[in-house]
Amino acid sequence: MPFPSDGPIVLVEDLHLTLASAAGAVNVLRGISLRIEAGESVGLVGPSGSGKSTLMMVLGGLERPTAGRVEVAGLDLGRLDEDSLARFRRDTIGIVFQSFHLVPTMTALENVAMPLEFAGRADAFARARAGLEEVGLGARLLHYPAQLSGGEQQRVAIARAFVAAPKLLLADEPTGNLDGATGRLVIDLLFRLRAERGTTLLLITHDHELARRCERIVALADGRIAEDSAVGLARLGRG
Amino acid sequence: MGPLAWRIARRELRGGIRGFRVFLTCLALGVAVIAAVGSLSAAVKAGLARDSRSLLGGDVELQLFHRTADARERDYLAARGQISEVAQMRAMARTLDGERTSLIELKSVDAAYPLYGAVTLAVAGGKQAPSLAAALALKEGHWGAVVAPGLMDRLGIKEGDSIRVGDAVLTIRASLVHEPDAIGGLLEFGPRVMVGEPALAATGLVTPGTLISYGYRLRLPPGSASAQFVAGLRAAFPDAGWRIRDLGNAAPNLQRLLDRLTVFMTLVGLTALLVGGVGVGNAIASYLAGKTETIATLKCLGASRRLIFRTYLAETLALAAGGIALGLVLGALAPFLAASLLPAQLPVSARLGIYPAPLLLAATFGLLATLAFTLWPLGAAAAVNPGGLFRARVEPVLGRPPARFIAAVAVAGALLAGLAVLSATDRRLALWSVLGAVAALALFRLAAAALVWAARHVGRPRRPGLRLALANLYRPGAPTAGVLASLGLGLAVLVAIALVEGNLMSEIDTRLPEHAPSFFFIDIQPDQTASFDALLHNMPGVTELARVPSLRGRISALNGVPVERAAVAPEARWAISSDRGLTYAAELPAGSRLVAGSWWPADYRGPPLVSFDAELARGMGLKLGDTLTVNVLGRELTARIANLREIDWTSLGLNFAIVLSPGTLDGAPQTHIATARTAPGSEAALARAVSQRFPNVSAISVRDALANLAGVIDAIAAALTAISAVALAAGILVLAGAVASGHHRRVYDAVVLKVLGATRRDITRAYVIEYGLLGLAAAALAAGIGTLAAWLVLTRVMGTEWSFRPGAVAATVALATLLTLFLGYAGTWRALGAKPAPYLRSE
Repeated sequence: MPFPSDGPIVLVEDLHLTLASAAGAVNVLRGISLRIEAGESVGLVGPSGSGKSTLMMVLGGLERPTAGRVEVAGLDLGRLDEDSLARFRRDTIGIVFQSFHLVPTMTALENVAMPLEFAGRADAFARARAGLEEVGLGARLLHYPAQLSGGEQQRVAIARAFVAAPKLLLADEPTGNLDGATGRLVIDLLFRLRAERGTTLLLITHDHELARRCERIVALADGRIAEDSAVGLARLGRG
Repeated sequence: MGPLAWRIARRELRGGIRGFRVFLTCLALGVAVIAAVGSLSAAVKAGLARDSRSLLGGDVELQLFHRTADARERDYLAARGQISEVAQMRAMARTLDGERTSLIELKSVDAAYPLYGAVTLAVAGGKQAPSLAAALALKEGHWGAVVAPGLMDRLGIKEGDSIRVGDAVLTIRASLVHEPDAIGGLLEFGPRVMVGEPALAATGLVTPGTLISYGYRLRLPPGSASAQFVAGLRAAFPDAGWRIRDLGNAAPNLQRLLDRLTVFMTLVGLTALLVGGVGVGNAIASYLAGKTETIATLKCLGASRRLIFRTYLAETLALAAGGIALGLVLGALAPFLAASLLPAQLPVSARLGIYPAPLLLAATFGLLATLAFTLWPLGAAAAVNPGGLFRARVEPVLGRPPARFIAAVAVAGALLAGLAVLSATDRRLALWSVLGAVAALALFRLAAAALVWAARHVGRPRRPGLRLALANLYRPGAPTAGVLASLGLGLAVLVAIALVEGNLMSEIDTRLPEHAPSFFFIDIQPDQTASFDALLHNMPGVTELARVPSLRGRISALNGVPVERAAVAPEARWAISSDRGLTYAAELPAGSRLVAGSWWPADYRGPPLVSFDAELARGMGLKLGDTLTVNVLGRELTARIANLREIDWTSLGLNFAIVLSPGTLDGAPQTHIATARTAPGSEAALARAVSQRFPNVSAISVRDALANLAGVIDAIAAALTAISAVALAAGILVLAGAVASGHHRRVYDAVVLKVLGATRRDITRAYVIEYGLLGLAAAALAAGIGTLAAWLVLTRVMGTEWSFRPGAVAATVALATLLTLFLGYAGTWRALGAKPAPYLRSE
C-alpha cells in the first residue's frame, strides 16, 4: 500500500526558536504547530527569513528548539542526544539540498552508499547501485561529483536521499541551482520516487507552481504559519 | 577505530596530499632530527662496544697511580691471564739543541702491548714501517720512540732525528698513526710519544711522587667472566687502591660526553618537533576548515560525531605515518653522511647501521607530537553544525573542543614530555628543558594574545592599509598565535645557543687568560723547589709565581663510612670516582673563600685537619667536625673538617678541593706544582729555560689547553646550531603554511580593496605592515626568551659569568623580521595580481 497513514509522521507543538546574534536575540520561529500525516507531500513557502529552513533543520534534528515539542516518526527529538539524532537521520530522514552537497572525494556510488554504510548494511553498494540506476545514472557510478553536471549531481543526491528508505524526505529548494528544464526533470524524478515509495515529503520552494505539485501548502511569515491549505489540483493528481 | 572510519578516511585522502606538504615536512623534519641524533649516538656507542677490548687494552684494566704492582699482585695477575703493562705520564720533549720544547703525553709499553687491536706506524717516503718492537728497540746506543705526527711539526724534526726526554736521548723511528687504546682523545695536552719500558727508566723521570699512572691489562682465558675475575681481585687485594675497568666501561668519560651530547641534541631536536607540531596542527586545522561542508554533509546523512572524529583522526594518523616514515628514512641515513663530519679526535669509529631503538623512539615522539597538536582541531571540527548546509555557508568551528578532547591533548602532551624526560640519560636536564619549552610556548601564546588584543584595541587608524594590517592580526582564525609561537621558539633556541657559545668563547678567549696563569709546571721535585723559584724570579717578564706541594689521593671514607656505601649526590660523584690531587698548606690558598669554620694557625701541628670544598661537602652531606678519610699512596689518613671553602675554579689557579693541615703529609712522597704568568712574547723562552734546567719538569701551556677546549666547544656549538637551524626551518614552514592557507582569503581581500579603489601600493603596504609586525613581535620575544634561557644555562647550570651579547641577538632579530617579511610577501604577491572580475562573477 503506497500511503500508510497510521498516525502523523511529523507533530510539532508550539515551537519556538531564538538565535543569539551580534545585534541581539532573533526570534526565528514563534509558536509553530504543525501535523503532517505519513505519506503527505507538503510545500513550505514564504519569504526569505520567514523560518522555512530553520523549521526544516529542527525537523531533521539539526537544530534544537528553544521551546516546544517536536516528534518525528514517533520519536520525541527533544529527548535524543547528539548520537541518537545522528542515528535518527540515518534511519528516518533523507535530505536533498539546493547545492547538492555531495562529498567531492567520493564517487557517485560511494556518496549514495554512505547512509547505508553508516547503518552497517552489508548490501550498501548493491543497493546504492540500484538506486543510481533508478535515477538513470547507472553508467556514472564511478564518477566523482566534479565530473558530473549539476542535474546529474542532484540526481545522485536524490538517490542518496532515498537509498535508506527514509520515512520523511526534506528537500530544500532542490532546483534552485539548476536551469529550468533540468529542474523540471529533477522534480519529476523526486515526485516519482516519493510516489512509488510512499515517502512523506516536505519541500521548501519559492516556486509556487512547484509548490502546487504538493498536496498541501504551508506558508510561513515572520516565524509563524500564515496559511495552511490543501491543493485541489495536487489531490486530483494523486489519484 | 572502526573499519568504516578508515574506509571514509581513505576516500578523503583521494584529494591528494597537496594541502599536507607543510604537515608532512614539519613532521618529517622533527622526526628526522631526533632519529638522526639517536642513530648517530647509537652508531658511535656500537663502535665503542665493538672496539672496547682494544680501547681498554685488554679484557680488564687495573690502573695504579704513583706505584707499580708489587710482586704478589703481579703473580696473582700473571696466574689468571696474559698481562701487558703500560705507564703514562706527562713530560717535556726537547730538541737536542734545546731550542724547541713541547709538552708530551709519554707512554711506555711492554712486549705484550697491544693485547687487542694493532698499532699502525708509518714512515716517510712510503717505505715499509718497522714493527713496534723494532721501532722501540735500542740501536746504536739510543732507544727508539714512535711519536704522533704533531710532535715532529712542533719541534721541526723528522723521522731519524732524536729528541731528549728527561735524561734519555730517543730516536724517532716512525710516526704513530693509530693507537688502539688512545682514549684520552678530546682533551690531550700534548702529542703522544711511545717508548719501551727500558727507555722510560732511562729518562730518569720516574721518582717517588711523580704524576704517573700504571696500567695492567689482562687478556683473560676464553670463556672466563671478567666480573668473576674482578670480584676475586677485590677480595684478594681490598686495599690495593687500583681503579678497575672492564669492557662495560672501557671509556667512561667518552661515554659520558656522548650521553650528554645526545641529550642536548635530542632536546634541540625535540624543539624542532614542537615547532613543527604547531605547523602540523595548523595544517590539520586549515584542512578541516576546508572540509567543513563535507563534515556537515556526513552528519546530515547520519554520521555520528564520533565517526567524524575517528575518520579524520584516521586520516591524520595515516598522513602522520607517512611523515614519520619519511623522517625515519632521513634520520637513519643521516649518520652515513655525518660520519665523515665526526671530530677526527674521536678515538672510535662509528659502527654505521640501522638502529631500531632510536628510530622507534623518534617515531613515538612524532606520533605523540601529532596527537598533541591535532586532537584539538580534530575535536573542534567534529562539532561542525550541519544545519549550516541549509544556509549560504557552513562556518568552520574555531572555538575550543569539548573538555574530553582538551584532556586528551593534555595527556598526549604529558606523554611527550614524559618520554622526553625518561628517554634522556640526564633526566634532570631533560625535565628542566621540557619545562622551559612548555613555559616558552606558554609565553609565546600569551604574547600572541597580547599582540592580538593590542591590534584590536589600538583604535581604528585612519589609514586603510594600517587598519587592514591590524585587522588581519586579530580577525577570527588568524594564524597569529601559531606563527608567533613556532617561529619564535625556533629563533629563541638559536638565540640561546648563540649566546651560550658566545659567552663560553669569550670566557676562553678573553676572560680566562686575563686571570689565568700562562703555565702550569708539574713534577717539580722537592729538592728542586728552591732553584726552580730562583730561576723563575730571575726570568724577565715572569709575574705571579705560585707553588704548592701536590699529592694524589683517593677519598675512601666519609665519617668512617666507606664511600662505596655513603650517600653521595650525583653532582659530587666526580670527586670520589678516582684519585684527586690534594695539598697541604699553612695559609688559606688564593682563589678560595672561607664560608664556614676557621683557618688553622700557620704553625699548627696537632691532629690532622682538613679544609674541604663547600659544594662537595654539601653533596656528600658533610659538615664542620665530620671526618674525611683519604688514601694517599696506600696509606689511610683520617682528618677532621676544620673549615669549608668556596673555590673559584675558573681562576685556573692552584685549586684543590682537599687541603690538609701542615705536618700531616710533609714526609709523604710528593712533587710540587707551580703556576706562573708571563708576557705572551716570553712564553717560549720560559718553557725552554725551565726544561733545560729541569728536564723532569713539564710545562703545560694554558693557552694551548684553552685552544684545544675552544675547538671542542666550537664543534659542539656547530652541531647544536645545525640542529636548531632545523627548528627554525620548521618555524619558517609554519609561517609558509599559514600564508598558503590564508591565500584564498587574501585574494578576496585584495579584489574587494581594488574594487573600492585601492592601488597595489596600498595593499602591499598593508601586507608589509602585517608581516613586519608579526616578524618583529616573534623576533623580540625570541630575543627575550632566548636570552633568559642562555642566562639560566650559563649562570645556573654552568656557573660561569654572563655578559649580554647584543650582536648575536640583533642578528637573530633582523633575520627573523626579514624572513617573515620575505615569506609573507612572497606568499601574497600573487594575491596582488588577482583580476577582480572573475572573482566577483563567481562569488
